Amino acid sequence: MLNQEPFLQLFLKYITRYWPRILELTWQHLFISLIALSITLVICIPLGIYLTKNEKLSPYVIGAANIFQTIPSLALLGFLIFIFGIGNDNAIAALFLYAMLPVLQNTYTGIKSVPRHLVQAARGMGMTEYQILVKVQLPIAMPIILAGIRVATVWIIGTATLASAIGGGGLGRLIFSGLASIRNEVVLAGALPATILALTADQGIKWLQNYLDPKNRAIRLAQKAEIDELQKTAAQRGRE
Amino acid sequence: MVLFEDVSKVYEDGTRAVDHLNLEIAKGEIAVLIGPSGCGKTTTLKMVNRLENCTEGTIKVEGKDITKVNPVKLRRNIGYVIQETALMPHLSVAENIATVPKLLGWKKSKIQKRVDELLELAGLDPAKYRYRLPDQLSGGQKQRIGVLRALAADPDVVLMDEPFGALDPIAREKLQNELLQLQKTVKKTIIFVTHDMDEALRIADKIVLMRRGRIEQVGSPEELQQNPANDFVRDFIGEDRLSQIFPDTSVEVVVQDPRIKVSPKMTAADVLDIMEDEGHETAQIVDSYGKWHGMALLWLLKRAAKQNEKVTKGAKKDRRLYIEDGTLRDAAEMLADQDLPIPVIDENGLFRGVVTHAGVARLTISRLTRYRGKEGK
Ligand SMILES: Nc1ncnc2c1ncn2[C@@H]1O[C@H](COP(=O)(O)OP(=O)(O)OP(=O)(O)O)[C@@H](O)[C@H]1O
Ligand SMILES: [Mg+2]
Repeated sequence: MLNQEPFLQLFLKYITRYWPRILELTWQHLFISLIALSITLVICIPLGIYLTKNEKLSPYVIGAANIFQTIPSLALLGFLIFIFGIGNDNAIAALFLYAMLPVLQNTYTGIKSVPRHLVQAARGMGMTEYQILVKVQLPIAMPIILAGIRVATVWIIGTATLASAIGGGGLGRLIFSGLASIRNEVVLAGALPATILALTADQGIKWLQNYLDPKNRAIRLAQKAEIDELQKTAAQRGRE
Repeated sequence: MVLFEDVSKVYEDGTRAVDHLNLEIAKGEIAVLIGPSGCGKTTTLKMVNRLENCTEGTIKVEGKDITKVNPVKLRRNIGYVIQETALMPHLSVAENIATVPKLLGWKKSKIQKRVDELLELAGLDPAKYRYRLPDQLSGGQKQRIGVLRALAADPDVVLMDEPFGALDPIAREKLQNELLQLQKTVKKTIIFVTHDMDEALRIADKIVLMRRGRIEQVGSPEELQQNPANDFVRDFIGEDRLSQIFPDTSVEVVVQDPRIKVSPKMTAADVLDIMEDEGHETAQIVDSYGKWHGMALLWLLKRAAKQNEKVTKGAKKDRRLYIEDGTLRDAAEMLADQDLPIPVIDENGLFRGVVTHAGVARLTISRLTRYRGKEGK
């Protein structure tokens, strides 16, 4: 109770004084997370698709991703120092390994969950294998894949705070130095933006999930058609 | 139009699904493949659009050996309908119908015109259905869209694998009639697979009766009925569950799903809206446990709606039969008095379905035609 007033004041003072640095670290944090996420998506989605066509490999690959996911994140960072040395590269590699599983697994199960008769019908109508993937399997699996991406994104943003422990940047810097110097206002100045980033990303993907939902898409299609129709009749009337 | 020359199919595991099949299907003809489960109907169909390749013999479509045509190109020129409907759940009705035209690269305006034209042909108002999702359609409507999708790019040959197999008898008969009606205008060469002899007799120009991958007999429905080639054919056509039916048979054999079911929690006004929209005279009130709460009637509902009552106030509860002891005779008598569906429940009050005038009439007609067929042989 006694501490509350001074703590808030301390915190406000800290952020008014150091906001450019906090902003820069937030930007770094976001940057590291985005790179790690992009690498995860670029590797894991195609890999997941590949596994649906080579089922025999899937237990091994998904098993491996599972192992990485089980290693405590700080320990994983520690191991990776031997490979990548100290710095952001290491952190990004670790984040990628850490976040692989949900994207890989959900891509794989998402595509496997597309009913066989739909694929068969698509093939029977004359779609090429590529068209089947892009026009049928991926769109139908999209909610499941997006759910995996959502989990991975939140993990990455959260775990990226550990990057500073191995010499990387990001909001972890503030958190760790705050902890080391027992200055809670500094810890909060790092933790708060990190939390906001994670929550925003989470909500953003949730919005995207909603936007891509076939029901909402159908509603948009219908509305667009209605507007087009109105414009057409208006234009006709204008001509007359 | 479609020619099978000594065609066999042996699957990798050694199953001989189709065995030296010879068959010619003429242009504009509906050929129905029928036979016991596993006799190779689906396999025969899939070989035509090369979802399976035949291991011996040749198949020709319009005189061309299909192995000489790129399978993707071949399939775009052959319509394909399957039992599961397989409409793409993430695409609207219009987009589903437009699938093949889009693959063929038609212009947008041409596609749009074609979609509307087809929807109208099937008696579905384009403005109302274009942007629906398959989930928002009834089983019968889905199957209609499945058929329209197969016709969209105006293929000469259409393959249908038990397209109406999952529908209740009334809806099935309706779609069969629509298909025949449609066929008068579109004149496709249709290969149609079914399990249902009634269906085959009704729609076929030519019936192909198969057993164990071989053809037992090919002929018009009349030929098969009047001159069955062997005992198997005779048994298969004569296999007559209907002859087992007497006035004292349980009403079970004619119970069908009602056109519309509503929850007892709904208000009379809401139900009235739905019924007037869709042109129903009655609606069955069934709760989430499956318990029956009466049959809503249009005129009773109107009164209840004026008084802001629940739907149960606009319902009748005394017209019903119990599945345990109701007979066809009881049903017929009740229908003779009043031409409204009869709800059928069990002794626990659970809703089992309805008996309608059309259902009973259909049964009687099938019986009569069956006997005529038998006497003819
Ligand atoms: N991919 C496959 N691999 C091996 N055997 C198969 C395969 N597909 C079908 N079969 C076998 O080939 C035979 C014919 O199957 P098909 O599906 O053509 O029968 P059907 O007449 O369509 O049966 P149903 O009426 O049950 O649909 C069956 O014995 C079936 O088990
Ligand atoms: Mg079959």
